Amino acid sequence: MADDNNPYTQTHVVQSGETLSKIAQKYYGDASLYDKIFQANRDVLKDPNKIFPGQKLKIP
Amino acid sequence: MKKQSVWLLAVVMALLLAGCASQKGPAQQAIASAETALAAVRDQAQKYVPDQLQAVESQLQSAKDAFAKGDYKAVMATAPALTAAISSLGEAAQAKAADAEAALAKAKEAWGATSADVPKMLDAIQSRVDILSKSHHLPAHVTKDALASAKSGLDSLKSTWSEASSAATSGDYTSAMSKAQTVKDKATEIMKSLGMTS
Repeated sequence: MADDNNPYTQTHVVQSGETLSKIAQKYYGDASLYDKIFQANRDVLKDPNKIFPGQKLKIP
Repeated sequence: MKKQSVWLLAVVMALLLAGCASQKGPAQQAIASAETALAAVRDQAQKYVPDQLQAVESQLQSAKDAFAKGDYKAVMATAPALTAAISSLGEAAQAKAADAEAALAKAKEAWGATSADVPKMLDAIQSRVDILSKSHHLPAHVTKDALASAKSGLDSLKSTWSEASSAATSGDYTSAMSKAQTVKDKATEIMKSLGMTS
């Protein structure tokens, strides 16, 4: 899990129409790795299928 | 007339010898004083201004050689310059020592922030490398070579960071900060190559 206070952990602001899979595809080249992002953002995400535009997510 | 000349020569020789002998004590004292003054600054000079120390030691040796030859006049003639050179040497060494102390204090202060910062950079890179290593297809902005280079580079950075930490632990903050800066620069490069800075 990414360090919550790590300023070097990349961040991503969710855009309309994006899913964790799409974000994983963008940063990792592999949509199936979406859970890495979900686990790093458990403090703000309760469900990997529910993300909202404007949310700032850590990309470990 | 000839007898008078011999007497005159003898008197002149006696006066010369007396004159030389009268300068032996002061010459000996001048060399002793120079040696004492140089001994007081030698260690610091050796550390901070070794070339200047070598030049002064050469001057002192010349004075000793002149003394050994009985040329007390030469010793006395060069004594002021030798004294001034030793004084200048001490001042130069002290100035360099002060500079080094200031640089060390600055490095020590910088180490506080850096020692907290660098591990976070390395953690972020390690996390990304671990995830990308599991990816079936790398993202468009990351090449296989970049990932391989990041893996090997990360190992090297961890090793250098360990050296930096050891240097800091032993009080050598200047060396620690130099190594830390190397780690930060290289880590920044790796982060760019993995697309982590956009």
